[in-house]
Amino acid sequence: MNRRRFMTLTGSTLAMLGGGHALAQKRLEINPTEFRPIPIAITNFVPGSPADGDVGNGVTQVITNNLKRSGLFAPIDQAAFVERISNIDVAPNFQNWKTLNAQALVTGRMTRQQDGRLKAEFRLWDVVTGQQLAGQQYFTSPEYWRRIAHIISDQIYEQMTGEKGYFDSRVVFVDETGPKERRVKRLAMMDQDGANVRYLTRGADLVLTPRFSPNSQEITYMEFGQGDPKVYLFNIETGQREIVGNFPGMTFAPRFSPDGQRVIMSLQQGGNSNLFVMDLRSRSTTRLTDTPAIDTSPSYSPDGTRICFESDRGGRSQIYVMAAGGGQAQRISFSKDDNNATYSTPVWSPRGDYIAFTRQGGGQFSIGVMKPDGSGERLLTSGFHNEGPTFSPNGRVLMFFRDPGGNSGPSLFSVDISGRNELKVPTPGFASDPAWSPLLSATAGQ
Amino acid sequence: MKVKVDKTLVASIVLHVLVLGWGLLTFSSKAYIAQESLPVDIISSDQLAQIMAGQKTGDKKEPKPKVEKIAEAKAEEDAVGKVTEKKELIKTNSTPDTPPPKPVEKPVEKKPDPPKPVAESKPKEEPKPQEKKPDPAKEDPIAELQKKLETKKPPPKPVEQKVAAVQPQQQPKPKERTFDPAQIARDLDKRAATRHELTGAALNASASLGSTSGTAANNVATWQGAFMSAVKRCFTPTYNGQDADQYEADIDIYMKIDGTLASEPVIVAARGPSRSIAQAVAESGKRAIVQCQVYSFLPKQQYDTWKTIPMRFGLKDML
Repeated sequence: MNRRRFMTLTGSTLAMLGGGHALAQKRLEINPTEFRPIPIAITNFVPGSPADGDVGNGVTQVITNNLKRSGLFAPIDQAAFVERISNIDVAPNFQNWKTLNAQALVTGRMTRQQDGRLKAEFRLWDVVTGQQLAGQQYFTSPEYWRRIAHIISDQIYEQMTGEKGYFDSRVVFVDETGPKERRVKRLAMMDQDGANVRYLTRGADLVLTPRFSPNSQEITYMEFGQGDPKVYLFNIETGQREIVGNFPGMTFAPRFSPDGQRVIMSLQQGGNSNLFVMDLRSRSTTRLTDTPAIDTSPSYSPDGTRICFESDRGGRSQIYVMAAGGGQAQRISFSKDDNNATYSTPVWSPRGDYIAFTRQGGGQFSIGVMKPDGSGERLLTSGFHNEGPTFSPNGRVLMFFRDPGGNSGPSLFSVDISGRNELKVPTPGFASDPAWSPLLSATAGQ
Repeated sequence: MKVKVDKTLVASIVLHVLVLGWGLLTFSSKAYIAQESLPVDIISSDQLAQIMAGQKTGDKKEPKPKVEKIAEAKAEEDAVGKVTEKKELIKTNSTPDTPPPKPVEKPVEKKPDPPKPVAESKPKEEPKPQEKKPDPAKEDPIAELQKKLETKKPPPKPVEQKVAAVQPQQQPKPKERTFDPAQIARDLDKRAATRHELTGAALNASASLGSTSGTAANNVATWQGAFMSAVKRCFTPTYNGQDADQYEADIDIYMKIDGTLASEPVIVAARGPSRSIAQAVAESGKRAIVQCQVYSFLPKQQYDTWKTIPMRFGLKDML
């Protein structure tokens, strides 16, 4: 027994002695406090034939624009390039790119194939270590060259940040034209960068709150047709639409469940409204709330187990969270500085870490985020009228609409969830109620 | 009454004492050496001056004005004149103090040329000042205006004179290219005078506004701090999720005595809820280490302490 004890003590003592050096070498810690975009050099995509020059330059421009607008990258002006890439199959001279302080280099080639398709190749180089980080090739119809550029942008984004990108996605919104008192509102869709605008409705009826399906090319929205406003399903590819459910009153504020199999919405009953969910396969409906109040704007958590929604059951509009099947709801929005502030239009982040909202208080509308338990509230932007946040597919960026008031109209803006990099999103006219699609490559039917 | 002594217990005690004693001696000597060498050798005269310097917005704890140094500030006018003269001489003889003209030269019409000369031309400043041929065209009208408006605008005259003075002196440059030791001696004298004036200005600032709560906290007094500052300049992480504080990357760096990397930094560990994000943080840290070298400021006499540098990159302060 004593011998065993002796051996144990001796062993521990020797371990202490041996670990002396490790203790002496404490790690130097670097914890930056601010973002600095990654300097990246994006060269013009080499044309496989002289006729491919325009599309090569176009792809380069789209990638550059995507990465720059993300706020995480600082594309280097091509006028400063020392080396011209003419063959992407040869390793570049990295010293030429180090002098520009580039951390990454993108090279590529666009070649039209004999069958008429377009072949896109790209390589992402780590300039500092001289290693290739990514290399892919894609084939597509020539008219889809922009989508190829978005996919390549996502590859670069993911490789450099470790997060999924969001460039290969679309935004559906309400396009507004005409004078304010006779505003025509059409459902429209575009790429996330504002290109390829398509109008989905003609503007004969008022449309509101469009929302993308998470896994199909379907949209649900509310339309004021003849009779009560109803929630509709709209198939983007076929153009077909149908009413969701057969409720006696007005239905509004629809949103898909994460699996795309259900639509949750509000149903007006007298002066109140409650939440209902409808299974799209069985068409069965389930009541989730039953209160003498207005419960609306429901949004599922990404795992589908919980719902956040707004309700005035406490006297003022606030955000509540409850189980997806209904039950006790817990209020999570509490303004620290303004007891009269109201919270509305909550939407759960695809990565689950935040709930975005519109906050009205102090004469201003703000867009903000808070954790699902209500802590960590952070206002990202404030002004006369900001409303309707929607998350990018990776949960990194919020898009919302801003109306400056007066005779003007609303416009779309995007902002990083940290409050940085607020940008106007180009639209053909006034625009409101944006809803971001999931990544197109992640949806069915693509 | 005999007390039984357990022999094994005695042996255990004796051995423990021996081992612990040996360990204490070894610990104390190594730790002592490491602590002793750090602070003394690092602080240079410049760093000391910065520590003593105050902030312009700080309280004046010693409001006593030092007249002598204010008088030195007046002498800066002379320094300006000397500086301009130096520039002229430098252009003809060598290229020591050419950084100021660089930014002016870049936008000049050399950009249409192939991109290579743009970067390479940065260090080569000599030909560019000579290419400022459009300037002489400005001289004539300016000189004419000066003659016409001699009485009206006295303040702009000195500026114009500087321009005019540079250009005529550029023309006789070829003649001055003959080696003249006396000219060099004159340059050296002038430089010495300029240094005195600059030093005077700095001392004057510290005397009037300096305090112990100045910028001393921002100064780097150890090689560890200097090294971290250097690497931080190139570290560009991008993640800002609410769980950012859970991401860390440990990287070991192996250095040569000249301040370059002996080998590629080794990612020892990358931690965080998302493996891909943790790896991206680690790669970003690795790029920063490689990109920001050479770390020539590391004290060679302490090479043993930074031959291997273990680092940790984190995101806990990113939000």
